[in-house]
Amino acid sequence: MSDPFSINGGAAVAMVGKDCIAIACDTRLGSQSLGLANNFEKVFQMGKTTFLGLTGLATDVITLREDFRLKNNLYKLREEREMEPKTLANLVSTSLYERRFGPYFVSPIVAGLGKGGQPFICGFDLIGCIDFAKDFIVSGTASDQLYGTCESLYEPNLEPEDLFETISQALLNAVDRDALSGWGAVVYVVTKEKVVRRVLRTRQD
Amino acid sequence: MADCSFGITGKDFVLLASDQSAGRSIIKMKSDENKIRTLSPGLALAFGGEPGEFTSLGKRRLMGGTSNELAKRGGESDMIKRDTNNFVDYVERNLRLYQIRNNTELLPAPASAFIRKELANSIRSRSPYAVNLLLGGYDKVHSEAHLYSIDLYGTKAILPYAAQGLGIYVALSTMDKYWYPDITRDEAVELLKKCVAEVKLRLAYQFTFNAIVIDKEGVKNLPL
Amino acid sequence: MNATVASEYSAERHSVPIEHRFNPYSDNGGTVLGIAGEDFAVLAGDTRQVVGYSINTRYEPRVFDVGDNIVMTANGFDADGAALIDRFRNSLKWYKFDHNGKRLSILSAARYIQHLLYGKRFFPYYVSTLIAGLDDEGRGAVYSYDPVGSYEREQCRAGGAAASLIMPFLDNQVNFKNQYVPGSDGKKKKELRYLSLEEVIQLVRDAFTSATERHIYVGDGLEILIVTKEGVRTEYFPLKRD
Repeated sequence: MSDPFSINGGAAVAMVGKDCIAIACDTRLGSQSLGLANNFEKVFQMGKTTFLGLTGLATDVITLREDFRLKNNLYKLREEREMEPKTLANLVSTSLYERRFGPYFVSPIVAGLGKGGQPFICGFDLIGCIDFAKDFIVSGTASDQLYGTCESLYEPNLEPEDLFETISQALLNAVDRDALSGWGAVVYVVTKEKVVRRVLRTRQD
Repeated sequence: MADCSFGITGKDFVLLASDQSAGRSIIKMKSDENKIRTLSPGLALAFGGEPGEFTSLGKRRLMGGTSNELAKRGGESDMIKRDTNNFVDYVERNLRLYQIRNNTELLPAPASAFIRKELANSIRSRSPYAVNLLLGGYDKVHSEAHLYSIDLYGTKAILPYAAQGLGIYVALSTMDKYWYPDITRDEAVELLKKCVAEVKLRLAYQFTFNAIVIDKEGVKNLPL
Repeated sequence: MNATVASEYSAERHSVPIEHRFNPYSDNGGTVLGIAGEDFAVLAGDTRQVVGYSINTRYEPRVFDVGDNIVMTANGFDADGAALIDRFRNSLKWYKFDHNGKRLSILSAARYIQHLLYGKRFFPYYVSTLIAGLDDEGRGAVYSYDPVGSYEREQCRAGGAAASLIMPFLDNQVNFKNQYVPGSDGKKKKELRYLSLEEVIQLVRDAFTSATERHIYVGDGLEILIVTKEGVRTEYFPLKRD
């Protein structure tokens, strides 16, 4: 297991609902089979309704989180407004492509509400190719499992509360079938009115 | 080289303990090496990893050599792993420089970010440092104790208690069982002694330990 | 002087003999799924057979009625799967000749298959094997195996290419994993209950349409073999062919 993507483990998922989005992650940080920390969140708030999820090699997750925090803050100061999710998506893409021949080993996802409150989600490969999706985006060592749960549990136009239940069940059942993910989970449900953050009770094995 | 270090936090203190052995492969050359460095009045670092004996040997030869040899060896020394001591020196002096320039100490959180970034950059360089760190600090502004575990990739974890090196195999479960958020200083010392006892009982390797405690008064030696 | 014709091969010097290696295994894709109910069991599989990116056929049955109200599948490398099932069928036939037509219980079938698989411990059948039927009390039973014969009776199991996609869904919908009684603050688990045949078939169809959507080795058709005390019945549903 010298694959950089599966040294530390972790999973993240984003979903689109009716005028809302949800984004969630597990909180495990491991070193191969050893669990190091259960407080390693992989979803970061970049604006009022904009979120960035990063899974993969943990050192790169931290490096990029700080890099995008810097770029996001500079954008806010220069433009005197918040970055749109679409803008963040393109920023992530170009930033990753700068390292085309020595990439960061991460699978980022972006989720948020646009200017008019329209939901937006997307995912990337490690060198910044964007995957625009209408329904859901998965990433991390439990991505196979997440594809299975999301594809069968998801339906379009869910209300925020139903979207929360759907994304939570999709994540929880997926990470329970992946030895490198789990050890806690965090879910954000984002509507135009408010952002709700919930910490889930999960299996601890 | 086999090494072993522990860190335990309480509400207003951090304990750091490290083994004191130095050597190569199966040979122990020293059993009184201090592998905990005080970086500033409220910050200390326990370090383990490749000690880089080759490098120190190389350095000594370099000092005795001619300038011509020096130039020749420049490329060669790039190929070998750099010293963990060298990295800790670098960190210590840069934090000192920050203190002199700004007339203020770096708090544990930003110090951990600085150290992590250095390792994260190092791992993509031609000669990465192979060093694992436990950083303990007392944040005087927020009156909190912090413990960070940083590995050779620059993976930083914020932890209530941690072990590194061979200690992970025997002491993590002990800490899981006995640690709790309101643990007192005396109880934490007892827990540390339990971990050291577990190391003596279960590991074939003979370790001797030294330990420190960090609190609002600063860094003090902790007799075990 | 001897004039020789320049040979392309003369330059090749061999200090060691050239080794040629035959790879005895391949992956034929496909995925299978078994669920046990109160008085029935189902074993389902898609009907696509692939090798690499090529589709060999869109209809090659994967799940078989092997007699005595037992259905069986061995998914992975189809040649090994076919060989294993042939061997089991043959053994069952001789069992009947030798024991006056006695019925083989699913319990005994399960143990026997372990020995078939472990018998090739050092050149294994490259398959994930599932069998389904009714136990001696008439309850639905599914047994699942690893390639060398470790086995277990379970309520449900997915095997093959899309097993990792389907299994967490089954945990959730069959064993109600991560489901709690509303208002119990996550303290009270949702009570387990047997699913009806209609519910099970709907779950199987959902699982396969989802796997078809995301996995290139799954698709074309879904064949479900249903075991009840009346016997084995087959249902077929088309899946996406892309």
